[in-house]
Amino acid sequence: MNGFKMIWDNIGLFGEGLQNTLVLFCVSGVLAFILACFLAFLLEGTENIPRKLIRWGLDLMRMLPFLIFLYLLYYGLPNVGLRLDVWSAGFFALITYHGAYFAEILRAARTSLPAGQAEAAYAHGFINSSMYWRILLPQMVMRSGPLFGNQLVCLLKDTAFLSIITLMDLTAAASAVQAKYFVPLPPFIFVIALYWSVTLVVETLLRRLSRRAQKRGLVHE
Amino acid sequence: MNKPTPVVEVRDLHKHFGGIEVLKGINLKVERGQTVSVLGSSGSGKSTMLRCINWLEVPDGGEIYIGGDRMGVKSANEKPMSNRELAAMRARTAMVFQSFNLWPHLTVLQNVTEAPIHVMKVDRKDAHDHAVQLLEKVGLSHKHDAYPWSLSGGQRQRVAIARALAMNPEVILFDEPTSALDPELVGEVLAVMRSLAEDGFTMIIVTHEMEFARAVSNEVVFIDKGMVIERAAPEKFFTNSDSERVRQFLGRYRTTTA
Amino acid sequence: MEDSDWFTLLHAAWTTVWISGISIILGVALGLVVAMLRAAKIPVVSQLLAVYVSLIRATPMVTLVLFLFVIAPSIGWEVDPRVVAIAAMTINTTAFNAEIWRGALTSFSREQVEAAKAAGMTTGLTLRRIMLPQMMTTSLPGLVNEMSLLVKSSPAIAMIGIVDLTRVTNRIAAVTYDPLPPILAAGLLYILIIGGLVRFQRIADSRAKRLAM
Repeated sequence: MNGFKMIWDNIGLFGEGLQNTLVLFCVSGVLAFILACFLAFLLEGTENIPRKLIRWGLDLMRMLPFLIFLYLLYYGLPNVGLRLDVWSAGFFALITYHGAYFAEILRAARTSLPAGQAEAAYAHGFINSSMYWRILLPQMVMRSGPLFGNQLVCLLKDTAFLSIITLMDLTAAASAVQAKYFVPLPPFIFVIALYWSVTLVVETLLRRLSRRAQKRGLVHE
Repeated sequence: MNKPTPVVEVRDLHKHFGGIEVLKGINLKVERGQTVSVLGSSGSGKSTMLRCINWLEVPDGGEIYIGGDRMGVKSANEKPMSNRELAAMRARTAMVFQSFNLWPHLTVLQNVTEAPIHVMKVDRKDAHDHAVQLLEKVGLSHKHDAYPWSLSGGQRQRVAIARALAMNPEVILFDEPTSALDPELVGEVLAVMRSLAEDGFTMIIVTHEMEFARAVSNEVVFIDKGMVIERAAPEKFFTNSDSERVRQFLGRYRTTTA
Repeated sequence: MEDSDWFTLLHAAWTTVWISGISIILGVALGLVVAMLRAAKIPVVSQLLAVYVSLIRATPMVTLVLFLFVIAPSIGWEVDPRVVAIAAMTINTTAFNAEIWRGALTSFSREQVEAAKAAGMTTGLTLRRIMLPQMMTTSLPGLVNEMSLLVKSSPAIAMIGIVDLTRVTNRIAAVTYDPLPPILAAGLLYILIIGGLVRFQRIADSRAKRLAM
C-alpha cells in the first residue's frame, strides 16, 4: 500500500496524536516555566532548612528518569489512595519534572547575576518580592535563553513516554498505524518529521525572541 | 665568490583583506645573521607582511623565498603547496607571537620539545637535552615542569622564544613580542632577544620598541600604508632619515616619550 | 517485595547499565567522528550529517527505539532487541555528542593552532597533539551530562522487550499487585547510577576550568 495513502487515510489518527502532543507540550511548557519561577523565588534568600529541602528535592528530580516518575504517579499513587487518570498523570509529571529542570536553569542564572543589587536587599534582612519578580527574574530568564530552548525540546520528547501509559499521542499514533498495516516506514517517518518540525518552530521562535531582547540591550552576546 | 642567497626574500608582496589593499608591493631581503627591525604605525601592514613570510596569511601577489626556496607555491608548476610541503617549509622558520600562544596542556619543557620530537623527528633524549640548554639560555631552568598558567607574561614569552629556537630555524620571526607585556616584564624579554642577535641569529622583528630597534638592529625597515618607505642602518634612520614621513613618525614618538 | 525480586531488579539494573555503557562509549567516539567530518566541509556529507544531527536530536527515544524495532525485520536485520536498543541509543547519543564536539572544535583557540602551524606541524599533527588532548578535557562536562541524559531516557528500551529496570518493575507489580515498591526500588537504582555520573561531571568540570588559562 502506498505510503502517502496510508498516512492520508489515517490522517485523523495522526491529527489526534499531534493535537494531544501539542496540548501536552504547550500547556506543560508554560506551567513548568511558571512553576520554576516560583521555585526560584522560594529559593531566594538566606539558606535555611526548607530551602535546603527544596534544593535536594530538585536535585533528586533531576536524577530520576522521567518514565519512572510517571510510573510513580500513575501506578504508584493508587497505593496511597490517589488515582490519577492518564491525562492528569501526564500533565502533573511533565510540569513538575521539567519545572525542576527549569528551576535549575534559573538557579544557575541567578548565581551569575552581578552581586550588587540583591545583596543590598539582603543586608536589610529581606528580599522584596517585587524586586525578585521585576528585576532579578527577567535578567535570569534573558541570560538562560538557549538553555530554555533545549529544555523545551526535552519536554516535547518526554511527551512520547505518555504513549506507554496509553495516551494517544504522536508516537502512539505511529505505532497504531504501523500495527494496522505492518508497514512501519511511512507512519514513523511522518511522525518523526512532525517532531522535527515542532522543534524547528520552537527554536526559530526562541531565536527571534532573543534577537529582540538583544536589540533592546537586555542581553549581549 | 658567489653572493650568498638571502635567508628571507620578499618580492613585490601584495595582500588585500576584503576590499582593502594592505600590502602594496613590499620588497625585502634579509641576509644571514642580520637583525632587521620592522617599524610602522598600527595598520601599516607590518604584521601582515611578517605573517605572509611563513604563510599564515596567504599573499595575493608577489613571491616569498626562504633560503632561496619558493614558499607556499610549488616552484615547478605555480600550484599551491600541499599541507605537508607547507609544514616542511614552515619548519625552517620560527615565530614568536604577541600573545605567546603556548600550549597550556603541556609543561614548559614539553612546549619546547614538542615540535622537535614530532615535526623534526628528533630523538627524545636529544630534544630533551637541547630544551634544557635553551631554557637555561632564556633564564628559565627552574621552570621545566611548570605549566604556562603559572608563569608571568615575560616568562611565557621567554618559553615561546626557547620553543622557537628549538627548531633550529633559519630565521626567527617576532610579531610584536613585547606589546602584550606589562612594562616591568618587557626588559627581560628584550634582553633575551638582544643576546640572540649577538649570537648571530637571523631575526626579523616587528616592534614598537624604538630604543631596542636602534640598539640591536643591523637594519631598520619602515613600512607605511603597505609600502616600504625607508630601509637604513639604525643611526641613519633615527637621526638623519631621508624621508619626511619617517621624521614625522619619529617626531611623534619623541614627543610621547620626552 | 521478596529477596528474589530484589535480585531480579539488580540483574535488570545491570542490563540497563551495560546497554547504556556500550551506547555511551560508541556515541562519544562516533560523535567526534561526525564533528570532524562536518568540520572538514566535504560537500554532500556535511549537509547530510547536519540533517542527521538536527533530526535525531528532535526525535524522542521511545519513537526511535520503536521505529528501529519495527523496521528491523524488513532490512533483514537480526531482531535481537538488545542490538536494536544499542543501535537506537547510539544513534541518539551520537547526534548530541556531535554537537558537543563541534562546539569544542569551533571554539578552539586559533592562536594555539597558529603556533603549531608556525612550528611546522601538519593539520593532522596539530589535531592529535594539541587540539584533541585539550578538547577531551573541555568537552568532558558536556559529554558526561549527555551520558546522564542517555541513562534517563533508557527506560524506553523496555518497550521492545528488554528486561531492564522498567520492565522488571512491571513484572514484579503484575505478580505482587503492589507496584509501588518495585518502582521505588528501580527509581533508587537509577538515582544511584545517575548520581555517580553527576559526581563524575563535577570532577570533569573543575578539571576543564583549569585549562582555560
